[in-house]
Amino acid sequence: MKMSIERKKRLYGLLFVSPFIIGTLVFFLYPLVQSLVFSVHRITSVVDLDEMEYIGLAHYLEAFTIDIEFVPTFIGVVTDTLVNTPIIVVFSLILAVMLNKKIRFRGFFRTVYFLPFLLGSGMILNQLLGMGVDAKSMDIMRGILLPDEIRQVIGPSVTLVLSTFLNRITLLLWRSGVQILLFLSGLQGISPSLYEAARCDSATEWEMFWLITIPMLSPVILLNLVYTIIDSFNDVRNVMVQYFIRNAFVLQKFDYASALSWLYFLFVFAIILAVFLVMRKHVFYASGREVTNRI
Amino acid sequence: MTRDTRPPVRRIPAIRRSVLRTLPALRVRTIVKYLLMTALVGFFALPLVYMVTTAFKPFDELFLYPPRFFVRNPTLDNLQSLLAALSSVDVPFSRYVLNSLIVTTGVVVSTVLVSGLCAYGLVIHRPKGSGVILSLVIAALMFSPHVTQIPTYMVVNSLRLVDTFGALIIPKIAIAYNVFLMERFTRQLPFALVESARMDGARELRIFWRIMMPNIKPAWATLVALTFISTWNDYFTPLIFTTSQSMKTFPLALQLLAGGPAVANIGRAGAVAAATLVMTTPVIIVFILMQRKVIETMTYSGIKS
Repeated sequence: MKMSIERKKRLYGLLFVSPFIIGTLVFFLYPLVQSLVFSVHRITSVVDLDEMEYIGLAHYLEAFTIDIEFVPTFIGVVTDTLVNTPIIVVFSLILAVMLNKKIRFRGFFRTVYFLPFLLGSGMILNQLLGMGVDAKSMDIMRGILLPDEIRQVIGPSVTLVLSTFLNRITLLLWRSGVQILLFLSGLQGISPSLYEAARCDSATEWEMFWLITIPMLSPVILLNLVYTIIDSFNDVRNVMVQYFIRNAFVLQKFDYASALSWLYFLFVFAIILAVFLVMRKHVFYASGREVTNRI
Repeated sequence: MTRDTRPPVRRIPAIRRSVLRTLPALRVRTIVKYLLMTALVGFFALPLVYMVTTAFKPFDELFLYPPRFFVRNPTLDNLQSLLAALSSVDVPFSRYVLNSLIVTTGVVVSTVLVSGLCAYGLVIHRPKGSGVILSLVIAALMFSPHVTQIPTYMVVNSLRLVDTFGALIIPKIAIAYNVFLMERFTRQLPFALVESARMDGARELRIFWRIMMPNIKPAWATLVALTFISTWNDYFTPLIFTTSQSMKTFPLALQLLAGGPAVANIGRAGAVAAATLVMTTPVIIVFILMQRKVIETMTYSGIKS
């Protein structure tokens, strides 16, 4: 019997997707379900994780009623993320657009802007933070940007505001390397003929930015929003994640840590869902697929 | 709309006038742009410059307050003490580097292929349930990976992978974010390219390898850079999944050498600074190589969108 082309196509599709599916099932979904199981049980033996008793939602209630650290840490992390994400995305978009222009030393600028990310979020950054690099660099930067003479003129309160701003901006800029890179790849994907056509109609740079760059880049904007939100929620430096790790690996309360991370997961899920729903109407895909399919 | 109704004769001078008008403004903007970008270089390069200079600082300058950016008396003492500490370990230093190289290469190559194939299957074929798979991918992005570490360990253990390269490579291949990234870029692939390749009788794998992958080069170049960096720097996974010293990777070896964070171990601060520099160098090289690929303009092969 000959397989129909449609059926063959579908089988191929499944074949291509299957390595990822198997990997996800074994190394992500199963551990995930297991952690859900842990979260509603009390583990009675740390050595043998199979020994546990069912306690229902007690761990979840504990997080809100008994644990005095969870809720304040949680709110702090959420506020931070909601404030930082738009700043990071807008900044990296501006930087990427500048870097995409034909300018001198383009490769140099690109590499430099990505440097903080190269230092990584893992061991190297921990070592650097252990050496107090962020605080020391900030001290030096403040010394250069706000010398004593200026400080005396503008007064202590303005100095405080300025240095808080500098602190925040620097840390945010350090975290926008990936976003810049993603925006750059997105910008590379926009056909130059669109700009040429617009230029023939004497469009200004500003018009081209809003009417060509932004709509063509909208899938990458969504990608970056999601990346930034998730990255800041799951960053090792995030106090909430550190709280999970402490509970799981130091205090060995693995069941409780699982419950906490599920609460956290549900919340992050809600935020990402909201982002998707808001962005869905504004994202534009230029593959021309709809047209081709109709033919 | 008004522009289209203008007679063609007037159009050309109008453009020329506008170009002339914007020229001086452009020059001012260029200067401002360069100034701004150079100022930002200061912010971005700080950690690296500090790291490099610290690696060459003699002991007394390491703990200077207020801290100084540049070295007064550069020295190679830190590098020497690092080498001395490394030679006191039983396993030769090159073994750690080799382990790191094998693991990083394995993870990078397989994750790019697996995510690429998955994106190809999802976008080009759209099998039944691809919507479900995609929402699964997006949901998977949101879970903190640290908390699933112990169940993951149980899986790795029951597959008898502990203390093998498999334990360090296989769990890191099917990563949701990588598929998400590839899928988003594959969607922008002009569909007519795939259709015309099919007309010419190209096989599926050939379309994947010859049409899709070259066209989404920026996406996978980004993926290579990201995966390389995170795998190379990772010390959490080898810490949990390996037991023998000869299976440890470079960052873990350095971490053990340094004996924890630098604050806790003042005597070895110099060696740690040197170690950090040694570890970062390959990452920077890979990034510089990859960013060139990212920059290369995507091919359009005569397709007009």
